[in-house]
Amino acid sequence: MTDRPLTDSQSLIDHHGDFLYRFALVRVRNQDVAEDLVQETFLAALQGTYRESGQSAERRWMIGIMKHKIVDYFRRIAKEPLQQADPTDGPDIHEAFLDDGHWNPDAAALHQWPEQPDGLIDRRQFWDALAGCMERLPPRAAQVFTMRELDELETEHICELLQLTPTNFGVILHRARKQLRDCLSIRYFGQPQEGLRS
Amino acid sequence: MSWMTRSLFTCQDMSRLLSDAMDQSLPWHVRLRMRGHLRICALCRRYEQQLTLIRAVLRKNSATLNDENRPTPPGLTPEAKARIQQALDSRRP
Repeated sequence: MTDRPLTDSQSLIDHHGDFLYRFALVRVRNQDVAEDLVQETFLAALQGTYRESGQSAERRWMIGIMKHKIVDYFRRIAKEPLQQADPTDGPDIHEAFLDDGHWNPDAAALHQWPEQPDGLIDRRQFWDALAGCMERLPPRAAQVFTMRELDELETEHICELLQLTPTNFGVILHRARKQLRDCLSIRYFGQPQEGLRS
Repeated sequence: MSWMTRSLFTCQDMSRLLSDAMDQSLPWHVRLRMRGHLRICALCRRYEQQLTLIRAVLRKNSATLNDENRPTPPGLTPEAKARIQQALDSRRP
């Protein structure tokens, strides 16, 4: 173990720049913001003292700083009003259901997912489709969903950070999940996948 | 909430409750009624399975997002790198 200050900005950028940028981008979904977060992370790293040796420990340390920066960012924008009304407020959520609250069989027919989906978890194409569908979520929904499912933050923590009531939180995630399910049904399962159906 | 007093959950209630159950632990009597609905409703069983699958894929891949050997989207542009380096070098003592 060595205590050594990180001083070489060039090597920081070379070793961690791309990684941290992608780490931030998948979460904040804005290139400029992601770049700023990388810069803030490096600035903080250069001011701190790094206490372990080895590339991977250094990477973990960087990720720890980056996570704090992302949380700070979310906290900041939570206080700003959203520019436009949340498109998930539309009536489309109900079209999947009949007036009596049952699934609409016509809409449900779209959703022929395989009975045994275990193999899908490792499918690159499924992941790509899911990532594509996540990009279509409204900004606030994407934020909440990412914090919950990618960063695995607890419900109370997210509500506190984003200043959401538990009810709002529930509605946002419910709509996000349903939108993702519908999007995958169309984009991934809409056409027959090779080797997926027997 | 209206569904709390309803004697039977509709599928629409269920779609919300299945999502809620992924983020919090619901009261036992709600879980009991959900189980009753799921037993007789194939479409809600399927919905639950789909939500579970989406979570599983994301949580599995959140680890691979951190795997450098995997093909990944582009990183920082050279311009961004230069900008960051300039900012780092100018702000340090």
